[in-house]
Amino acid sequence: MSSLNKAPTPPSEGSFGPPLCEDADGVSRRRLLQVMGASLALSTAAGCRFEAEEILPFQSRPEGRLPGTTRRFATALEGAGFAASLLVTSYDGRPIKIEGNPLHPVDRGACTARSQASVLDLYDPDHSRGLVQKDAGVAYPRTWKEFDPYFARILQRHLAEGGAGLRILSAPSSSATLAQLRARFAERFPKARWIHWTAVTRTQELAGARLAFGVEARPLLQIEAARTLVSLDADLLGDHPAALAHARAFAARRNPAAPEMLRHWCVEPAPTITGGTADHRLALRVEQVLPFLAALEARVQAGLGQAPAQVEQGGFLGRPDVSRFLGALCAELLARPGESVVAVGRRQPAAVHALAHRLNAVLGNAGRTVVYVEEPARAGEPSGEPAARLAELVGEMDAGVVQTLVILGANPVYDAPADVDFRRALRKVPLSIHLGQSRDETARASVWHLPETHPLEAWGDALSWDGTRCTQQPLIDPIFERRSVLEMAALLVEEKAAARDLVRAAVLPGAGDEAWRKAIHDGFVEGSAPAGRALPLAPFELPAAEARAFRDELSPGQWELALAPDPKLHDGRLANNSWLQELPDSITKMTWGNAAWFAPATAKRLGIRDASLVTLKCGGRELLCAACVVPGHAADCVTLHLGHGRTAAGQVGGLEEEKVESVGFDAYRLRTLSSLETAQDLEVAATGESYALARTTDPAVDDSIGQHERDLRLHELLRELAHGPSPAAGHAEEDQHAAHHPALESLWEHDAPGSVRWGMAIDLNACIGCGACVVACQAENNVPVVGREQIQRGREMHWIRIDRYFTGSEDAPKLRFQPLTCQHCESAPCEQVCPVAATVHSSEGLNDMVYNRCIGTRYCANNCPFKVRRFNYFNFNKAVQGPGSEVQRMRFNPEVTVRHRGVMEKCTFCVQRIQRAKIEAKNEGRTLADGEIVSACAATCPTQAIVFGDLAQRTSRVSGLAADGRAYRMLEELNIRPRTSYLAKVTNFDPAATSHDG
Amino acid sequence: MTVSDTSRLVLDEPYARPILVDGARDLASITDRVCGVVERPTPPRAWYVAITITSCLTLMLFAMVGYLIATGVGVWGNNSPAFWGWDIVNFVFWVGIAHAGTLISAILFLLRQKWRTSINRAAEAMTLFAVCCAGLYPAVHVGRVWVAYWLFPVPNQMQMWPNFRSPLLWDVFAVSTYATVSLLFWYMGLLPDLATLRDRATSGLKRGLYGFFALGWCGSARHWQRFERAYLILAALATPLVLSVHSVVSFDFAVSQVPGWHTTIFPPYFVAGAIFSGFGMVVTTMVPARELFGLKELITLRHLENMNKVILATGSIVGLAYATEFFIAWYGGNPYERFVFLNRALGPYWWAYWLMIFCNVVAPQFLWIKKIRTNLLFMFVISIFVNIGMWLERFVIVVTSLTRDYIPSSWGYFKPTAVDVCTFVGTIGLFLTLFLLFCRFLPMVAIAEVKTILPAAHGHGAHGKHGGEGRPGREVSHG
Repeated sequence: MSSLNKAPTPPSEGSFGPPLCEDADGVSRRRLLQVMGASLALSTAAGCRFEAEEILPFQSRPEGRLPGTTRRFATALEGAGFAASLLVTSYDGRPIKIEGNPLHPVDRGACTARSQASVLDLYDPDHSRGLVQKDAGVAYPRTWKEFDPYFARILQRHLAEGGAGLRILSAPSSSATLAQLRARFAERFPKARWIHWTAVTRTQELAGARLAFGVEARPLLQIEAARTLVSLDADLLGDHPAALAHARAFAARRNPAAPEMLRHWCVEPAPTITGGTADHRLALRVEQVLPFLAALEARVQAGLGQAPAQVEQGGFLGRPDVSRFLGALCAELLARPGESVVAVGRRQPAAVHALAHRLNAVLGNAGRTVVYVEEPARAGEPSGEPAARLAELVGEMDAGVVQTLVILGANPVYDAPADVDFRRALRKVPLSIHLGQSRDETARASVWHLPETHPLEAWGDALSWDGTRCTQQPLIDPIFERRSVLEMAALLVEEKAAARDLVRAAVLPGAGDEAWRKAIHDGFVEGSAPAGRALPLAPFELPAAEARAFRDELSPGQWELALAPDPKLHDGRLANNSWLQELPDSITKMTWGNAAWFAPATAKRLGIRDASLVTLKCGGRELLCAACVVPGHAADCVTLHLGHGRTAAGQVGGLEEEKVESVGFDAYRLRTLSSLETAQDLEVAATGESYALARTTDPAVDDSIGQHERDLRLHELLRELAHGPSPAAGHAEEDQHAAHHPALESLWEHDAPGSVRWGMAIDLNACIGCGACVVACQAENNVPVVGREQIQRGREMHWIRIDRYFTGSEDAPKLRFQPLTCQHCESAPCEQVCPVAATVHSSEGLNDMVYNRCIGTRYCANNCPFKVRRFNYFNFNKAVQGPGSEVQRMRFNPEVTVRHRGVMEKCTFCVQRIQRAKIEAKNEGRTLADGEIVSACAATCPTQAIVFGDLAQRTSRVSGLAADGRAYRMLEELNIRPRTSYLAKVTNFDPAATSHDG
Repeated sequence: MTVSDTSRLVLDEPYARPILVDGARDLASITDRVCGVVERPTPPRAWYVAITITSCLTLMLFAMVGYLIATGVGVWGNNSPAFWGWDIVNFVFWVGIAHAGTLISAILFLLRQKWRTSINRAAEAMTLFAVCCAGLYPAVHVGRVWVAYWLFPVPNQMQMWPNFRSPLLWDVFAVSTYATVSLLFWYMGLLPDLATLRDRATSGLKRGLYGFFALGWCGSARHWQRFERAYLILAALATPLVLSVHSVVSFDFAVSQVPGWHTTIFPPYFVAGAIFSGFGMVVTTMVPARELFGLKELITLRHLENMNKVILATGSIVGLAYATEFFIAWYGGNPYERFVFLNRALGPYWWAYWLMIFCNVVAPQFLWIKKIRTNLLFMFVISIFVNIGMWLERFVIVVTSLTRDYIPSSWGYFKPTAVDVCTFVGTIGLFLTLFLLFCRFLPMVAIAEVKTILPAAHGHGAHGKHGGEGRPGREVSHG
């Protein structure tokens, strides 16, 4: 044993501070002023924090800089290994709003809910604010001044041994800078190892590419060139690194005005937003995708005359709906050579990926609708399953080989497979150092915890899905003394250069200042994406699907457990983000937690009620978990989302030490090395206890007359047309509806319409229900978070909500989404009943809410037929008032009033944005152009389903949409004259695949 | 019907002056009896027990209201879409209770229903106390109580008037007018009796207080003449208010566009329901009160029976209204309205609906039977049913309509909280506390008015066929 194998010595005996008190995390007034002053100074230097070390007031105002105006900077956020290119709005030096970068070739201005919500983490009190060293179970606050010499000494000792006892564990990253530092680390410590760990991996996908092409490559789907999209367990629009690009292309190809409308065929176990857009959707278990795709390929081969016609093996493939689906799909694929896309989801085994690559090649899609780029080199990292390498590391830790473990931004104590006991192994490592954004489970189990910067506080770089190199620049000096992974990595190789210089050297080696400035301004290096191409296929043998995969029904105890990253929280790293926790899930409309998803038929067979507790048993492990019945789920399969049930996420996501209850159920407890994506031995037992889920929609409609009425109304509220030459079904119905309306008259005279009439158009055909607009609105308009209990009471505050309806049969329903926000009715029912005139019409047609006049009778909300008004039943901002919350308050948009309890609030059409644009236009002596004002929801929408503009302007986009043949206004018969037009959903069914009974 | 059958029926001879007060009472004994309740040194033990309980409940009400104002409306069960819950249910409930008093005082007075004199004082008092309870709700249910005065058209530096299109504003005027006129009417009627108490008072304090409020009444002919005229005028003013106040309250619902609220039947239906519930409450309180204070001879079974007849009549009107609503929901062809009524009967709140039907429509029908409507126990039980039923009616109207309106995705369910329940129980406590205090300190029966219906007041005994037909108002009173 080396000399390192001792308990860590604190930096100096005399510097033992008092034990860390959690309350001491508050910020003093002095510190706050420093911070704000620093950020003020910073913003002039275009976000560069290394040149301006001193905090000084401006002697004279720099040109073009006005206090109180917003500035926007491009940066990037690496979530789950891929960059999202962002445009961040900064107000007097503090970032308050994240939107997509419109210049970026992939994101093109759109932004996911997750990326947008990350601005909240920056000001989160649980975001680490200082170093912590644990000694004999007591946590002591430390400073970098104490840590740096100590760590240098440790590294010196390791250097002498070539790094034999040194291990680094980090989250995988596409950063070129980090890759360079890592390579230097490998040189410096030849015996050390650097391991990557993340719970959600692309191992199978890469293995599939190796199988099909011999190299690791990723397919870039060119949906905009396709006429047929086949997604197989692939959440292309939701949980995919290129979801934003897919969504935009998809919406463009689904435009019924375009000559050829895309048809989408989807096979998936649990309904996703991707499945919701499908014209034909088949619910199959995860394991059934392989035989399904094999059968499809066989049919296609036969159709092309390349193979004899084969009869599929029996089982579910013989089911009439499956065989009709297969037949029609095969016919369509053959009829549209080179115009289809076959896409497979991340968790499918390698063979399915390889099969899809082959099918795309056979159909002539490769090189046209599907192109491939090779995976960027991963700096000597061996391919294969990260979980296996984590298990190896745990073995080493158990064996006492590891002296020092540096964990950079990973949280294996929480998300390692259940049969890899990282927590136990960590105790055997004498020195464990964890760098992370919060004192998470791993931080609390390590000796040292170092605070990591928020992405908006640090320099960096990352690749987006198509390979474009994105640059990340800090928007603000680290509010507390935090360091980035890059800076820690630099420390490991004794690199003294500033992070910015390292990034510049790695991203644009040898380039001039001009190119660098452009890259920083744009947020990415133009033209850095490799060109996609078709790859030559290598012949491979297809493993036969297991016999059980063919079975239509499984016996209990053999069921399939399908694990998936949470659509909102991903692998759990975002669990302390209250915006995401409160964002209703697209499918279940559930907030604050997860539940095991059951098909209605399966639940009935087992006697499981919706919102009850069940026990899931799998591989000898058990999990008590809530159940949720989800129409359209595959039978004999249970979906459970990872990322919930954190025990040390923070005050939002759960913190055991402070008795803050976990949110949701921890699916990692059922996840083992052999069942990383699915397990095949699931047993389910009902406990008979009920469990209150916090859903915003369903629980109130659980009786038959309610459901019947809902189905009746949907035809009118959420209109739908059939695309193509058979308009009989849709249009006849429309005409019937239009027939008997008498002319509506108003009780009183209305003001003449002004010269400006703001309005909105929402294309139901484009909306995919992702929820990005909800978070955009929340961030823009200071919409408060109300918490789990208040959601259960029905008091959510979101100004825009996405109504979700299942229509049709329970087993194969259609999924429909409808974003709903204030319709700004011209004859607004809310305005007429307010006794104190607190909600009034503006001259530009906005239905304004005057907060300081409102006394809170709530009559307006009762009279609103859309129920979009939100009432502050409590002071929902109480937690961020008073001393100690100065940093949290920095997240507020200063242009929007923070509402007090007792007042009503609702969508304002982002009136602050309207005013700002009007003032700007006036200052510049010009008129407003169409499209200049974009509401927060519209700005972020990946499919551009929401269009805002002036209805009085004939040529504006919104006027055009409002006059479209598909446009209708909800509840128009009430004579409320809504300003928002909805464009009817258009379906593109293949008659051959539709059964006669509909 | 045979002769022997009719002999058992006690029918008022239509042209004979009915005997409205039991016992061969003279004018003095009436005074003694009524004033005796107030003048006895200690009230009955039951009174102490009762007021202890009710004042505790009142204190609880104040605590709940304090908590509500300090914390927010969220302490109640109100949510989205049920932005109104028990707050408005209880408001309408209490306003309804408040109807009997003025109806008895004003309308029956104008219709020369002499039997009203024994119960009108107590009923008017109940009106006032019910209005207190009712008025509390809209005042504290708003989100920002501290600016609730903006509901009144107070000239202010913001140069803002209230929105005169809002039914809530009409409500403010209607209820406050009603409260004012009811208070004046009650107080006017009290004047001669306060003077009687003053004259009989044994202590200086009592004499001073009763004397102050008696406004110097000395029973002169001029006083009587002006009193009679003023009383008549106030009765004429109050009469339309009986109809208007609940009509306006119903506009809160009818003028909105919530399916189930937006119906033209609401004003008459609400007024009938209010009278129904008001009489129910009068019976509920008078049955024990006449026992407690020994006023059985003044408040006779005949009074109670008459009130039961009103309950039966208005209950039937209410039943008819329910049926009409359903018919129109089907016949009108408005799908939203049709669903609301289907949902009331078969939806998640079916229990409330059918309980309401039982209490309001079925239970009062027993009053067709004379034995039941003259049996104290039965009438008491039925009046309790009426109270419960009318509360449920408001609950059904407010909550079932709101929880399932136009857009199915925002449908919800309303569950009251403990604070909701305690607040409501607290208002019952406030109502009863005020009533018990009234019984103890003010004449429960209008002494001067009762005297006018004694045979002694008619001088020659029963007048026969020509009595009292020619002139409006009461008979000439002799003090």
